[in-house]
Amino acid sequence: MMFLREHAPFSSMDDAHLAHFAEHASLRFYADNDIVLSPEEGPVQRFYVVKQGRIRGERHNEKDGKTDTTFEITQGECFPLAALVGERPTRTLHRAAGDTFCLSIEHDAFVTLLSESDPFRDFCLRGVSSLLDQVNRRIQSGAMASIGSSTSLDTPLERYALRNPIVCSPDLPVRKAVARMHENNVGSIVITDDERHPVGIFTLRDLRTMVAEEKGSLDTPVGQVMTKRPICLTSHADAFEAAMLMAEYHFAHLCVVDEEHRLIGVVSERDLFSLQRVDLVNLARTIGTATHLRTLVSLRSEVSRLVDAMLAHGADSGQVVKIITTLNDVTVRRVLELNIKKNDPGVPFTWLTFGSEGRQEQTLLTDQDNGILFETPDGMTEDQAREKLLPFAETVNRELAECGFTLCKGNIMASNPKLCLSGREWDDWFIRFIDASTPQNLVYSSIFLDMRAVFGPNEPLEELYGKVLARIQKNALFQKMLAGNAMNRRPPLTMFRNFRYAPDGKKHTIDLKRQGLAPFVETVRVFALANGVEEANTLERMDRLVAKGAFDPKDANAWKEAYSLIQAIRMRAHQEMLDRGEPLSNYIDPDDLNPLDRRILRESFRQAQRLQQKLEVTYQL
Amino acid sequence: MLERIRLWVKQRRAGALGSHDPAHLSTPKLAGDQKLSECRLIVLDLETTGFHPGKDHVIAIGAVAITGKVIHLDDQFDLILRRPELDISETVLIHGIGPEALTQGHETEDALLHLLEWMDGDPILAYHSAFDQRFLEKALRQSLGYSQNHTWIDVAELLPAIFPDAKTGGRGLDNWADFFNLEVSERHHAAADALVTAELTLIALNKAQKNGACTLSELSTKLHYYRRLQRMHRF
Repeated sequence: MMFLREHAPFSSMDDAHLAHFAEHASLRFYADNDIVLSPEEGPVQRFYVVKQGRIRGERHNEKDGKTDTTFEITQGECFPLAALVGERPTRTLHRAAGDTFCLSIEHDAFVTLLSESDPFRDFCLRGVSSLLDQVNRRIQSGAMASIGSSTSLDTPLERYALRNPIVCSPDLPVRKAVARMHENNVGSIVITDDERHPVGIFTLRDLRTMVAEEKGSLDTPVGQVMTKRPICLTSHADAFEAAMLMAEYHFAHLCVVDEEHRLIGVVSERDLFSLQRVDLVNLARTIGTATHLRTLVSLRSEVSRLVDAMLAHGADSGQVVKIITTLNDVTVRRVLELNIKKNDPGVPFTWLTFGSEGRQEQTLLTDQDNGILFETPDGMTEDQAREKLLPFAETVNRELAECGFTLCKGNIMASNPKLCLSGREWDDWFIRFIDASTPQNLVYSSIFLDMRAVFGPNEPLEELYGKVLARIQKNALFQKMLAGNAMNRRPPLTMFRNFRYAPDGKKHTIDLKRQGLAPFVETVRVFALANGVEEANTLERMDRLVAKGAFDPKDANAWKEAYSLIQAIRMRAHQEMLDRGEPLSNYIDPDDLNPLDRRILRESFRQAQRLQQKLEVTYQL
Repeated sequence: MLERIRLWVKQRRAGALGSHDPAHLSTPKLAGDQKLSECRLIVLDLETTGFHPGKDHVIAIGAVAITGKVIHLDDQFDLILRRPELDISETVLIHGIGPEALTQGHETEDALLHLLEWMDGDPILAYHSAFDQRFLEKALRQSLGYSQNHTWIDVAELLPAIFPDAKTGGRGLDNWADFFNLEVSERHHAAADALVTAELTLIALNKAQKNGACTLSELSTKLHYYRRLQRMHRF
């Protein structure tokens, strides 16, 4: 029964219930292609667990008369759940794929277990989705142990104790406003108009600045010294959104409002993280106001500590990569600001990032991929403007490297004259890029077609990207070549659904980035560009593709989940490498994972195969 | 409570494992028209003190039953015999049963009677069955004076007869288990070895039926031809 112990739901069942299962179980063998269960057999009589081998679900497709494989059940997995619980025949033909042994119990024994064992019942009634839940829970609980808190960042804001917020009108003198805060022992007061709409916020920090910088007397109406237009969220927003907004704007408080924008309460950074020593907002603020490069460099280790804590607090991998991206953005911006202060090149520009940073999918292991889109000032040629910008960009690239953003080996950096261009030059550049789709250009597509503005005005980029998208949408040949290129990255599964190991890494390892995530990223990019989706982030691209009707919502959900799980396993591996003081790498040995994670990884790769099949069909590759 | 004790005393008087009456044991069945898809087969593995039936003894018996091509895990047999006087230093390394485990075993007579009753005269399969057959028959004769012959089928012969092209890299149980990717939970533990042998038997029966052998006698005919072919190759 050691075998059962390794798999859900048996891993969490009592010994007595496990023994009940074992005593009533029988073992059957099915050779390759033997039918295990079929819709013609009537209501399902047995509950099965795959002991060895695989079961394939087949459904006849009415449209084209072909047979589709709808699912695969591998070692340790149970079937058929829905049909057995619903006491009906299965709708899918279950067929053995390869030599397969199944343990099974009869309906009566199944019912007994269902009524007596809670974990077993939960598992059967929730079906496969609980498997994914378990992985997420495990990822969280591992890091959670050190912190000891169960607060999740998915918690809606309305659940945080929203005290009756302390409010006042704009004409109240600061002295009285502070007195009111003092009486209620709070650090902030919201200034509202007659309809209770928040118009500003005044915090103890504002008071400190006001006194220190002698901005006015304590009799000044609070409306003159408050922070206007405070950030607001509705009560349905979750703690994660609140934390991200706080980090972005460096505020420690935000207002919670109802649908009519009337104030309901105030959430402070401390409310969100009172039990948790996560100081995302503080960290972002410290980075954003650092006055020296060496301060920024020293803050980078804090980012890694924060990621660990964030994983602990139940942030999913999508949330964590966004946090890393946010903090990276703040760092890049600050390096640029400090350099402009020291040595303004005098040419207005937008700082572009490409590749994973452009997609907002950075993890701790990150390269610099950046460029400059400038506006040529009157009376200057493009070359003259470039001459002013290049030395500036070089300093910025070097300083970013000191902050931990590795210099790009392919010289895809703003200090490269070929990537420091005016809007017109960039447009020409992309025309050549798309028309002359050389193999080298196709390799670069993963970098340059995922871009974003980090600093400077956004409009020049929007204008440029709009033209690029329109051109790609019209160019079917380029799309097809992109699709062909995306097919070069195959998910690491063999024909027999075993892991295919990376050819270049250590023995028995999988490259989670190039073999695991890249098939999703590359394939989704082709669909996104072909459908005029402007977002660069892979998950957001999939959402937009669903909205545009290009992806089936259920498929897209499965793909998003699979992508996020691979990302989560990768990030956990990174944290563990950091803990051991090893250099970060994307290679992992699947044997190091627990059986549940291994299964999840395999299923996630299978989803990548399905996504690629869609690409193959769409472009007839 | 009192009732329980009374029942227990009654059981002790009748013998530890219930009442076994040698006279009521089933007669061993021959390999006849029993359908493979219905009949019950015993798959057995013995642990012994050594390799010589003349001087060595049985110390553990593991067996599972296959009924209608299904292994029912509640229809198993796993016993360690009580033989404290035996010197087992020779093979103790292979099967891992030490003297303490042995002394906790069942009395030999009880165990063997129980086994006969459980087997119910059904055909017995074993890996290299000649070995198990000699030990078991000798033990049955010496302990119980039982001398009826069961039908024996050698799984080590059945597998190559049904999968002639399999490249197993050897003729041992481990070779075949590896060939079919079977997991052996505890090698050289009678019950675990019996289970692996039974799993291999299921694989063989599945294929045999597809090749048209549907009854036990058809299966033994197939084995008979296989044996003759092997002999011809030797010449």
